[in-house]
Amino acid sequence: MTGPLLYARSRALPLTLAALAGTAAFAVWAAGRLDAYLDPERRVPIVALAPLLASAVIGTSLYSASDELDRTAVRPWWPRRLAQVAGLAALAALLVTPAVLGHADTFGAPSVVRNTLGCTGITAAAAVLLGARLSWLPAFGYVTAVYLGSHGTRWGAASVWAWPMQPGTQPGAWAAAMTAFALGTALYAVRGARPERARG
Amino acid sequence: MTSIRVTGLRVRHRRTLALDSVDLDLGTGVHGLLGPNGAGKTSLIRVLATVARPDAGRVELLGEDVADHRGRTGVRRRLGYLPQEFGYYPGFTVREFVAYVAWLKEVPAAGVPAAVERAVARVGLADRIDAKVRTLSGGMVRRVGIAQAIVNDPGVLLLDEPTAGLDPEQRVEFRELLRELGGTATVVVSTHLVEDVAAACTEVTLLAGGRVAYRGTPGELTRLGADTDGPGDHPIERGYTAALRAHRAHGTREAVR
Repeated sequence: MTGPLLYARSRALPLTLAALAGTAAFAVWAAGRLDAYLDPERRVPIVALAPLLASAVIGTSLYSASDELDRTAVRPWWPRRLAQVAGLAALAALLVTPAVLGHADTFGAPSVVRNTLGCTGITAAAAVLLGARLSWLPAFGYVTAVYLGSHGTRWGAASVWAWPMQPGTQPGAWAAAMTAFALGTALYAVRGARPERARG
Repeated sequence: MTSIRVTGLRVRHRRTLALDSVDLDLGTGVHGLLGPNGAGKTSLIRVLATVARPDAGRVELLGEDVADHRGRTGVRRRLGYLPQEFGYYPGFTVREFVAYVAWLKEVPAAGVPAAVERAVARVGLADRIDAKVRTLSGGMVRRVGIAQAIVNDPGVLLLDEPTAGLDPEQRVEFRELLRELGGTATVVVSTHLVEDVAAACTEVTLLAGGRVAYRGTPGELTRLGADTDGPGDHPIERGYTAALRAHRAHGTREAVR
């Protein structure tokens, strides 16, 4: 087995891909159950929660069991870390999009892509600060808080901080989500996940 | 020939000074690193492994300054490291885990299978090479750790508590391996077990309070113990205690002045 394949297995990437596919299938199934095509506003739970689940899956794949040994690697880590986060985020966005086809100007594909990137950015930053195992927690807390408290947050600064609940055409929400993605991914690429005790 | 040269090394962990003004020159052979808990042994090993960066001082390994990116990269190819807790991937077999580290060390791909089998055989695990690491006993896992540390035939080998979890027979075999490795490489072994030092090391460095408290051969440390009636069941244990107390007494006198 070659080095890159061993690296992929060390980060549980096969399991992560399966979990992302499962998340996407669940989102599509749940979107149908919500009767989303008759009532676009009811797509918001999918737009908020499917990216959250996908980013949690990505976050747990950032765990390294042998962090101390990894730090002695000859190769620089940042290209692999960057490729892992960016690749998984792109794949997750692609997989979750079929759950919300149509209605691009409200809560359709653009908003689910934006939220997937934004949540992944927060999760990647959390992996650096808290460790990969708890990396899902800040995004979960933030999106839940915005989801529950987002009534009347379509204008002004609220359209930026409440970016997970904004329509896909809202530029401020896109700017906030892309900033979170860029900062979180860059931070993770440079620093890697916070070392945690091995579970093996 | 000097493989490890440390000058004016200082390492700080938040408010604690882990290492202070440490100067060391180590050449080919097996060097025992002794000292009480918190003496700075692991901090020194981690700096030498290029995992931690010092706050001050210079570290040269195999003629390269590790502060320099290019120098550090070259050194890592020829460095073996066994941390106290190395962690492993539960789904990996012994072969896969050691191959993964060989890949990290950029061992040429064509040579990896043979290098892995050789390293695993040297630690006596050839018959378990395709077993999952998680199914092995604690002592065997420790030997997997040693195998990954030697897979790239390192010029500098750093072992932090390598005999923890090994039974007496395995420790005797490990000492034999140490002596063999020390014939061609600079091996630094951090340990609490002075009998391992007496049996396998060519030199001893005693750290206390982040400073070098004593340097000499195991024979010299043993003789130091023979001349004292301090605590210890073996002359080298008495020598360890005597050297440590002499260092502390010297520190107290310096503080009084």
